[in-house]
Amino acid sequence: MGIIRKGLPGGSFKPLSEQDIEKIHNTVLQVIEEIGFQVNSEDARQYFKQTGASIDEANRIVRLPRKTVMDLISKAPSEFTLYGRDEKNDIHLGGSRVYTGTGGTALYIYNPGSKEKRLASLDDLKKIAKLVGGLDNIHLLLLPTYPSELPVNQIDVNRFYAGLNNTSKHIMGGVYTLEGIENVIKMAEMVAGGKEQLRKRPIISMIACCMSPLKLDEHYADMMIAIAKAGIPLVCPAEPLCGATSPITVAGNVLMQTVDSLMGVLLTQIVNPGTPVIFGSVATSTDLRDLKYLAGSVEMGLTNAGSAQMAQFYKLPFYATGGMTDSKALDSQSGYESAITNMLCALAGSNFIHDSAGLMEFAMTVCLEKYVIDNDILGMVMRAVEGIKVTDETLAFDLIKKVGPAGNFVTSKHTRRHMRSEHYEPTVSDRNLREDWDAEGGQVAWERATILVNQIIESSDYSLPEDTKKTILSQIPGIVV
Amino acid sequence: MSQDILALIKENVVQGRINKEDEGMDEGMEGTPAVMELVQQALTDGIDVQKIINEGLTSGMDIVGQKFEEKEYYIPDMLASAEAVGAAMEMLEPHLASSGVEPKGKILIATVKGDLHDIGKNIVSILLRGAGYLVKDLGNDIDDQTIVDAVKEEQPQFLGLSALLTSTMMHMKDIIKSLNDAGIRDNVKVIVGGAPVSEQFANDIGADGFGADGFQAVSIVQSLGS
Ligand code: B12
Repeated sequence: MGIIRKGLPGGSFKPLSEQDIEKIHNTVLQVIEEIGFQVNSEDARQYFKQTGASIDEANRIVRLPRKTVMDLISKAPSEFTLYGRDEKNDIHLGGSRVYTGTGGTALYIYNPGSKEKRLASLDDLKKIAKLVGGLDNIHLLLLPTYPSELPVNQIDVNRFYAGLNNTSKHIMGGVYTLEGIENVIKMAEMVAGGKEQLRKRPIISMIACCMSPLKLDEHYADMMIAIAKAGIPLVCPAEPLCGATSPITVAGNVLMQTVDSLMGVLLTQIVNPGTPVIFGSVATSTDLRDLKYLAGSVEMGLTNAGSAQMAQFYKLPFYATGGMTDSKALDSQSGYESAITNMLCALAGSNFIHDSAGLMEFAMTVCLEKYVIDNDILGMVMRAVEGIKVTDETLAFDLIKKVGPAGNFVTSKHTRRHMRSEHYEPTVSDRNLREDWDAEGGQVAWERATILVNQIIESSDYSLPEDTKKTILSQIPGIVV
Repeated sequence: MSQDILALIKENVVQGRINKEDEGMDEGMEGTPAVMELVQQALTDGIDVQKIINEGLTSGMDIVGQKFEEKEYYIPDMLASAEAVGAAMEMLEPHLASSGVEPKGKILIATVKGDLHDIGKNIVSILLRGAGYLVKDLGNDIDDQTIVDAVKEEQPQFLGLSALLTSTMMHMKDIIKSLNDAGIRDNVKVIVGGAPVSEQFANDIGADGFGADGFQAVSIVQSLGS
């Protein structure tokens, strides 16, 4: 087995110059100071008031002076760790280190091996958790589906339980109710071994969205407050869409994403200074034909790469979005869209690329085979992030001298020493000769992926310890087994 | 004279210009009278309201529709034209009755409680206005009772409901039930839409129609209306 690449520093792709970043930053502050943003939660407005913000109560608009904005941003940690149940799965966010993970919350799933989709169930979520647990280039599990058979008050606990009980990777997820948040945290404390243990090694994190343009919704702001108070890491992503909820331009979209995600970051740092908060982008473009949301456009990759630079400028850990496709089938479109967007995010040094595997058709549907294929895309992407290492050892002058003109490197120790670490070994790609490919049934990528899906899910035997499960099931209401 | 001004209205609908400050598709149109000024002029000149609608606004929108089909126009172009027509219709509204023009109908639209997704609903509203309907937009995150009360008060021919979350779409069913309970279900046609909503779901909850996108929204309203 080859090595697993994660947390390697990216940042070689810089679509924004230093002047560009400065100009965007100044406009960000100008928007927050002059235009302000709407805060629809009474509690959240109270918090902003404490900082001396100017509040227009009639219109619920909050405006913050530049200095306050920068002071609050500086309170947010620039590095922190999202822990796995198993230490080898820890994720050290910050700098330009790159990690990947799944994303959601999709409603549908493809019936394996077909183009047909159906509503996703809790069972599907468990399977995906097992699958992701076995895919090395997907570093954390963001709960990717919405179990359609459950009522909303049972959603949060069941989603997180399905994650925690099926993989030792870190579990991140969107949340739906305040009560759900409370119970999920309780459950995670039981898994972590106590209140403090969970704060020390947070094995879960949560997502609460900011609304583009320039709005903090009441329910979501209240959830941000609850999560920040509880001291659980959270992401405050914003989803500006070119021409719909942001200016049509890529620069305008980066600006909007920055302001909008900062609204959440600022709130968390007033509520509980030092809260581990991730600056998040789900920014993308739209289909000019009908303004619908696009998940696989090159502009999405560009915007997220630009936003990664803004995150690095503010020294905030960054959650990017890339790796999806708008295709309805595992065809060439699904491959190139996923590859291009993942690559741009990763080379820009995005700390965590969310949605990087498994999602199709406008983020509405997940596909088991696609997780396996994207795992390979991500392996290649991470190899590109690693770059070219130039040392005497890698240049191998002495070896070249020894082999000499017209010799070969096949039997040299140097080859054996470096071959596994220097070259990414794909799991799905076909590199067979035509005869061998024919002999193995002439399968295309997704057919080979189907086989791997089944192998990985079947071989997964991870679960929480029996006594932990018992405690959870007896104390947390609503979990379906 | 009347021909000239109607042709200009039509052209400006195609250009998507509401006021004279607006830029059009073509260069150099800023400052020249646009749909609002031209319709005002037409009213002052005593041109028949029905004629303004048919030969100016609607025939302009027909061309826009064609251009959209031919992929020359994108949705923002289409919306600009639809907004211009919507603004003109508002201006003409007080004159409809006296000119014997049948209004096309009133539509109440809202995104349901707990749901903040409003981009799709806004597009649907603009396109319906552009098709000549009077649209009252209640906004997003609107609770069932407010919607039912608004139906009582506004007495629209159509109620459009939008939901993008599985966790909120059931409000549509509850609203239909409340309309039933209030005895006003038959007074209004309910159409539904949003990403998780399907034809099947619309049938199941007893809605009258479903639209997968803004254009279907217009055509379903048109077909239910006649
Ligand atoms: C933009 C967006 C947001 C923005 C919304 C901004 C805004 N002002 O609207 C923000 C960031 C706020 C957001 C938040 C959330 N979102 Co969201 N969001 C989307 C996204 C990407 C695009 C929606 C959109 O605007 N599309 C473009 C418009 C033009 O299309 P449309 O809305 O479908 O409308 C067209 C048709 O449906 C139809 N139509 C619409 N309404 C009506 C009404 C009638 C009467 C008719 C006839 C037709 C009709 O015509 C429209 C025009 O063509 C979708 C993904 C997707 N592919 O749809 C997710 C999506 C809907 N969101 C989703 C989720 C999970 C959320 C959050 C819960 C995330 C979280 N964990 O916090 C929150 C919920 C907030 C809330 N309470 O509502 C999920 C829903 C999954 C589910 N289980 O239901 C989706 C599917 C994404 C995903 N796969 O995860 N979201």
